[in-house]
Amino acid sequence: MLAQQILNGLISGAIYALFALGFNLIFGVQKVLNLAHGAIFMSGAFIAYYGVIGGLPLGLALLIAMVSCGCVSVLLDRFGFQLLRKYSHADAEFGAMVISIGAGQVLTSLAQKASDTKVLSFPFGTFPVEFFRGLGLRISLLQITIALLVVVLVALLAYFLQRTSFGRQVRAVAINPRASALLGINSRSVFSITFFIAGAMAAIAGVMIALSFNSIQFMMGEPYMLKAFVVVVLGGLGNLAGAVVASLLLGVAQAMAAAYLPPGMADILIFATLFVVLIFKPNGLFGGGLAPAGVGRQ
Amino acid sequence: MMEFLRANQPVFDFFLLTLGFAYSQQVVLRAGVFSLASAAFSCLGAYGCAYLVVKAGLPVAAGIGLGALIGGLASYLVSLPLARLRGVYQAIATLALVELMVALALYAEPITGGAVGFNNIPKHVGTTELLIAVLVVIYLLHAQSISRIGRGFDALRQDEYVAASLGVSSRREHTLAFISSGLIGGLFGALQSMYAYNVEPNQYGFGYMVTTLAAIVLGGRRSLLGPILGSAIMILLPEVARPLAEYRQIVVGVILMIVVVLTPQGLADTFLAWLQHRRARDLAPMATQPPGGRA
Repeated sequence: MLAQQILNGLISGAIYALFALGFNLIFGVQKVLNLAHGAIFMSGAFIAYYGVIGGLPLGLALLIAMVSCGCVSVLLDRFGFQLLRKYSHADAEFGAMVISIGAGQVLTSLAQKASDTKVLSFPFGTFPVEFFRGLGLRISLLQITIALLVVVLVALLAYFLQRTSFGRQVRAVAINPRASALLGINSRSVFSITFFIAGAMAAIAGVMIALSFNSIQFMMGEPYMLKAFVVVVLGGLGNLAGAVVASLLLGVAQAMAAAYLPPGMADILIFATLFVVLIFKPNGLFGGGLAPAGVGRQ
Repeated sequence: MMEFLRANQPVFDFFLLTLGFAYSQQVVLRAGVFSLASAAFSCLGAYGCAYLVVKAGLPVAAGIGLGALIGGLASYLVSLPLARLRGVYQAIATLALVELMVALALYAEPITGGAVGFNNIPKHVGTTELLIAVLVVIYLLHAQSISRIGRGFDALRQDEYVAASLGVSSRREHTLAFISSGLIGGLFGALQSMYAYNVEPNQYGFGYMVTTLAAIVLGGRRSLLGPILGSAIMILLPEVARPLAEYRQIVVGVILMIVVVLTPQGLADTFLAWLQHRRARDLAPMATQPPGGRA
């Protein structure tokens, strides 16, 4: 029973990681809080749903969802956040949050219109329902697929950021956009690529969540947005490895809380933890000296 | 004018409540504090007042006053840790606080009524009381803004290090900003609970934050005129644009994005700055010209 809870927790933690990594990547590179990330995640699930309803195979629908969410994310950057760069730091920081709230609201309302405020679900058999048993555990084919997919994607992202020339450019822009521009790095294309990756990853996470719970509705992004906050704060804002560990921790903690605590208690504990961590360790549990401390002068 | 107000009284009341919440949000933003916690303070004020009046049998005025004090006390307590954070970290911490408050209100069913909400509250507050409360708040905020405190807020928002070098204590001013926000938030939360017959946890969640932030973005973070203009636009938009009512959320979202990109300081503040600039330009030639005129 306990081992089963841990397994389920790790799988949902893996999906949180996919969602939170994109959010964290944007913060790390661009230093903006993209509050529309949850709406982009929801749009991914919607696009894949309408693709499948329209007769496309699931894989193709997922691909279309990834590309379109990536593009929406890039557009949001190009015609939103980028236009704020000419204003003062405080104005830009505040403006970025408001723009992403506005964009999120537009996407959510469009989805509400499209679905008539109903809860949608994929037709039966979109993904084969199969279970495997062993060592007293039960795991579905979907869960195995999710775990493999997340491992591959996270490995790819790490490889991309640490080993390729473009990854070095991304990291350079994250540290100092001005100095990297002087070194001949086109920061605008770096921003576009990171936003595309973040949007595409959000779309995958959206489809995975929609498949696991078999329910899609226009407000589904909001709880994940809040979970992403918890993950990035625990793991450290802008710290990608920390985000993966924190996602898995959160997934397991949530599965445990759902199994052993009264309902409603889990949320209270999670947000209280977030609050306490922000106060005592604003760089996150694994935050080193390099992480940006959000603490002002005393 | 009075005819128009009477016909649209519910809209006007709603405007006054939104305006109160917007002031609670504005006062922290003005001091350069990135707090979104007004929703949490209003939530405490609303439940506190409803509980004190309905369950404990306190007089309404005392209930509303205590509601404001609960908000103020809570904001003082959270300001102790939160005034140390800056920027997005503060925003996330206060977002967490708001969600925590909603989760607590849902969980503590014996006191709050849980998801169903706190119902059967007698209506004690009408347009007059709301109007008086708004005017008092505007007067107090105006007094605050022309005093040393208000100038300190403006300096801190523009540049904290410069402000500190000029002798403005960021710790003290930020705490003051938090307390003002909590008092105003709690007051209008309490008024809303006495006005609307019931209190629900989700009233003080994400929707509250979007509306108040939108009002301030449209209006501005500095002048007291800002929230009035912003709240009026937010409330009147769906009334004026009836054919668009169905697409209201989309229209609001798009307008927010456009306004922020074009005038990140807000419509009212940008307009006031433009007026000031023009006045300065009109005065400038007289000041710079040598007495004998240009050679």
